[in-house]
Amino acid sequence: MKYLLFVTALLIAVVASAQPKIGTLSPEITLKDLNGKDLSLSSLKGKVVLIDFWASWCGPCRKSMKHLSAIYPALKTKGFEIYGISIDENKDDWKKAVAADRISWLQVNEDGGWNAPVANLWKIDQIPTSYLLDKQGKIVARDLEGRQLEAKINQLLKD
Amino acid sequence: MFAALPGLLYRKIVDMKNILITCLIIVVCMIQGQAQFSKATIQASGLTCAMCSRAIDNSLKQLSFVETVQPDIKNSAFTVLFKKNETADIDALKKAVEDAGFFVAKFAITGQFNNVAIKNDEHVAIDGKEYHFLNVQDQVLNGEKSLLVVDKSFVTSAAFKKYTAATAMQCIKTGQAGGCCEKAGLSAGTRIYHVTI
Repeated sequence: MKYLLFVTALLIAVVASAQPKIGTLSPEITLKDLNGKDLSLSSLKGKVVLIDFWASWCGPCRKSMKHLSAIYPALKTKGFEIYGISIDENKDDWKKAVAADRISWLQVNEDGGWNAPVANLWKIDQIPTSYLLDKQGKIVARDLEGRQLEAKINQLLKD
Repeated sequence: MFAALPGLLYRKIVDMKNILITCLIIVVCMIQGQAQFSKATIQASGLTCAMCSRAIDNSLKQLSFVETVQPDIKNSAFTVLFKKNETADIDALKKAVEDAGFFVAKFAITGQFNNVAIKNDEHVAIDGKEYHFLNVQDQVLNGEKSLLVVDKSFVTSAAFKKYTAATAMQCIKTGQAGGCCEKAGLSAGTRIYHVTI
């Protein structure tokens, strides 16, 4: 029994410490895209990637994506990509929002809402939450917005 | 050994009495009208977007009678579905929102009603809880109905002022029965939910 407790505690400690941090390599994420196909974060290696946690029912997320829509096309041609992770529990709501907001970047969805494995691992306590990764997949910044975000992406694209 | 017999007999009679009293209470409650509440719609406010925070979701899901919590963007509210055959605790739901660092701006509770007669500015017992209806027409509730809870901290302070003016009774201020209603079988301090339709 004691041994079991110890192992459980150790497991919790490992999971807790595994939260991705700025300056470390991002862990692999593989989730289903709009067509139900697996889409891995690692398939984007060599690109500057923004991981964007959101949901259809999150007003501020939808608003921030309007700005992303404006800067995305030009940056994409230079090697930038967005890996949008929706925590919608209702897949139809997610798909409707993607269509309504005309989101053209990569979209994946994870079952389980706030308590889904990836959202838990990344300790997502509120949305929108975003992480910016460099070409090597290292986490460079969190929650950058507006001009700061654009400037950082441009800088990372030159590296 | 023989002395124990009258004792046993006495206990049996007491048991019978308890059963009878329980039956009577159930019958009285049935006369008072029935309702099975199935969900609550809660609008939460705060400094940041309430739906965008894991805190409220977590806090509500920890309540034993809560089945699921669904965000509803159209009404910027949470739809909280209750487990079947479990009694929802209105105050516990409010506390869960407040514990997460937000406050309740609007709170509606929906359920199936079966012959519940209500009168304006009067108390009605529904499934063992006291409800005080404000700003309503006298009617009998049947089928699916939503009640808007208008107690303090369940509505904005402006709305609460409006509902306070709708009754001369003091219970609106505290959400509890005063000394007035003891004759009617309502002991002072009994929780009274103030609602409207």
